[in-house]
Amino acid sequence: MNIIVCVKRVPLTQEVDLEIDESGKKIKEDALAYVINDWDNYAIEAAVQLQENLGGEVTAITIGSEDDEEVLRRALAMGADRAVRIDPGELVTDGYLDATILAKTISGLEYDLIFTGVQSEDRNTGMVGIMLAEQLGLAHAAVTNGIEAEEKAAKVFVELEGGIDEVSRIQLPALLTIQTGINEPRYVSIMGIRKAKKKELKVMTLDDLGFGAEALTPQTQIEEVFLPPETEGAEMIEGDAATIAETLIRIMGEKGVTV
Amino acid sequence: MTSFQTLAVNGNDGITGYVFMWIIAVVALTIFAFIIRSRIDLLLASQKDPRFSNLKRRFRDLINYGFIQKRQPRYLWAGIIHIMIFWGFVVLGLRSLDLVTEGLGLPIFRPFMQSPLGAFYSSLKDVFELIVLVACVWAILRRAIVRPERYEGSHKAEAYLVLGLISFLMVTDMLFEGSGMLLAGEMHGWLPAAWIGTLLLPARSPEALSVILSVTYWLHILAFFLFLNLLPLFKHFHIITALPNVFFRKLKKGEIKPARYGVDDIFDLEKLGVEKIEDFTWKHILDLYTCTECGRCSDNCPANAIGRPLSPKLLTIKLRDHAYQKYPILPASGACKGDEEPVNMVNGIIGLDELWSCTTCGACEEECPVFIEYINKIIDMRRHVLETSQNPNTFNQILMYVEKTGNPFGKPAVKRADWLKEQEVEGVKILKEGDQVDVLYYVDGYASFDPQSQQIAASIAKGLKLAGMDFGILGKLEKDTGHQVRRMGEEGLFQVLVEENTETLKSVDFKWIVTTDPHAYNALKNDYPEPYRVFHYTQFFLSLVETGHLRPKNAVDRKDLYTYHDPCYLGRHNGIYDEPRRLLQSIPDLRLVEMARNRDRSFCCGGGDVMLWHEIEQEEMRMAEKRIQMALDVGATVLVTACPFCLIHFEDTIKTGGLEERIRVVDLMTLFMSSLENPEP
Repeated sequence: MNIIVCVKRVPLTQEVDLEIDESGKKIKEDALAYVINDWDNYAIEAAVQLQENLGGEVTAITIGSEDDEEVLRRALAMGADRAVRIDPGELVTDGYLDATILAKTISGLEYDLIFTGVQSEDRNTGMVGIMLAEQLGLAHAAVTNGIEAEEKAAKVFVELEGGIDEVSRIQLPALLTIQTGINEPRYVSIMGIRKAKKKELKVMTLDDLGFGAEALTPQTQIEEVFLPPETEGAEMIEGDAATIAETLIRIMGEKGVTV
Repeated sequence: MTSFQTLAVNGNDGITGYVFMWIIAVVALTIFAFIIRSRIDLLLASQKDPRFSNLKRRFRDLINYGFIQKRQPRYLWAGIIHIMIFWGFVVLGLRSLDLVTEGLGLPIFRPFMQSPLGAFYSSLKDVFELIVLVACVWAILRRAIVRPERYEGSHKAEAYLVLGLISFLMVTDMLFEGSGMLLAGEMHGWLPAAWIGTLLLPARSPEALSVILSVTYWLHILAFFLFLNLLPLFKHFHIITALPNVFFRKLKKGEIKPARYGVDDIFDLEKLGVEKIEDFTWKHILDLYTCTECGRCSDNCPANAIGRPLSPKLLTIKLRDHAYQKYPILPASGACKGDEEPVNMVNGIIGLDELWSCTTCGACEEECPVFIEYINKIIDMRRHVLETSQNPNTFNQILMYVEKTGNPFGKPAVKRADWLKEQEVEGVKILKEGDQVDVLYYVDGYASFDPQSQQIAASIAKGLKLAGMDFGILGKLEKDTGHQVRRMGEEGLFQVLVEENTETLKSVDFKWIVTTDPHAYNALKNDYPEPYRVFHYTQFFLSLVETGHLRPKNAVDRKDLYTYHDPCYLGRHNGIYDEPRRLLQSIPDLRLVEMARNRDRSFCCGGGDVMLWHEIEQEEMRMAEKRIQMALDVGATVLVTACPFCLIHFEDTIKTGGLEERIRVVDLMTLFMSSLENPEP
């Protein structure tokens, strides 16, 4: 079973007071720490687990600069066999372009499954995986939280609203977007990541992939980035436990929650 | 006396006895060599460990802890019994050699024995024979009747066998010498043991006496060689290995061993940690050989006390049983050296939660009379667990945060000095590259970000200001020292942190480092390669008081009774017991009482390492709960500590246990600041 996993490096934004830069179209990124996109971490683990059980090879792909190779090394340390980085140069991509570039890269590879995370922590659009499937002409399942792979097909569990799982069979090759919680991603130590430097990591430019400049036009444009407006202050409920509970129930009732 | 020795050896018929003795000695020593070979095999297969540094100190410790046995009386009666037997062995060793060499027809000790000094020696030997006999009987009765709990899980039959055999050696020698004296019809000086022997013998029957003389001699000799060969099979191997084990002890407490000795860059290594028995260092194997199964370690282990699946003694016994199985004396009995492991040692013989149960408090190592190391072994096994991703999942995020943000909370580095604002501390210098100060205050992660611990940091900063110190903090340049990270087994990340922090510390000019946290203090002092002049705040502020920079003036309420809890990494690991107590006593009207477990017998609060992020299911109660009970037992109303983690554990336990009315916990620094006349400069 050969599996391709698309991964992305994202900023760690919890607890950070994000600031907008002068252009008003981007957040300031210089003081941010970067990590692997959480969903992608589960996707790599899912791929490596399948590979450990069924054999085959796992290839990790990212689009980004040299700094982004860190997430590829992580993937290699977790058990991926090789990695590819596509260097977009000066090009600023959107979800559509990411899908287009990935499609071109992947079309030259052999695979049974493609995994992406459901979404990325930075842009949260949740569309790259699905558009990639479309461009490759593959069947796909989004928000996958369980996989039982067979020879030419896979049983996939997809998370629906309200905690309901939809179980279906999908013909391979196929693309699955992986939901967090599908597994417990293993820890990779710093030592493991350093050791993974010995594994193959191929860098390709857009030229190598045969893109002409005109073919890569983003389909979305960011007009403005702004922080959510501050809302009014919270109401502090005073009193003993019983009074607080009563007040809480009343407020929740007013907002339409029946307790 | 040698005349009857010769008689005993050879009877009346010339030289047959010599032949016997040579046969016995050669056979016994051959078997002994054969047994020892498999023990040496494993030592040779294990890892490097340089243990020849500081020879002067090693010899001094050998005398103090090896010969004077200073640690033995920590358990008074057992200690006294052991010292009696040990010194008996030292004295009686010469006697045994004399008996054997006489038997071999090589009487090399005869001139000494016949000298006046020899007569004194004979009396001394006799006294010790009685002392050893009494001690053995006492020990047997203690084991059979008193049955100390700490012997649970030890090899009890072995203990009885050896105690019996030692007694047998004493009795046969008494009867031998006694019958010899009766036959010769004369006394060789003052020989109380032999005299008691004579009382039991048929004095009027020379025939019977000469039979007894021969029989007791040969029984003694056979028992002696049997004993020699039993030693390396059981826990009594310590009779041979204990003195070397003390000599090669770990000298620098608080320090964790490198992943491999003699390797500069751990990233050159193929793997990290201990997976197989041969991955331990030779000294750690010698530890296994040396364990006497006395159980003092487990008796003091806080993890063991609260029902976690860890007993240091059983850890050693299990590893030793495994080692002996893998390196058997008879090669046919299922030997499988090398890579082929029929059963996992880590996550098999030693369970994962057994490894995570340890808080690295060091109580076991403080107690062990023969200086067996536990922490380094456990950390080495944890390294393997982590490198093979068998660690608890909760660690993943913590370690990722430390790597990416320099603290376990995942808070952005730029906010590391925000505690100044949050705690309303003004005028603290945040150092940049090239800045110069006298005191570099190393805040570390918990005191920077945890609201409770921030109060300690605030007190330290205010105190330094009040004393007029020229000091600063590193702010966003500072990262956690990696104390926890290293003890969780993430050696690679620890090395990265050491590199980064060392670089940062190089970029500013300072005289001293002061830390909030005993763990950070320990890491900078013992784990970091640079020789920083680092102080814990308790040391530093005591010197500020003693040099008159600060004067505590406000008295505390005399109704309160204070007790001080020694944090493990301040006390046991770094020997700082007196400074915090003296700082406490500088506060007017403060009444201090000691808990039953204090100083080097302090009982861990639950630990500042792994336990914050991993729960052990078998735990019956929290360590902090047990510790607070100890404080209540002596009537304390205020529990004082000097470590953010102790504070967190105790505060939490007091709240969840509803004990607020009876006791409160306070950090020494906060308490000290409130005693200063004008705490807000």
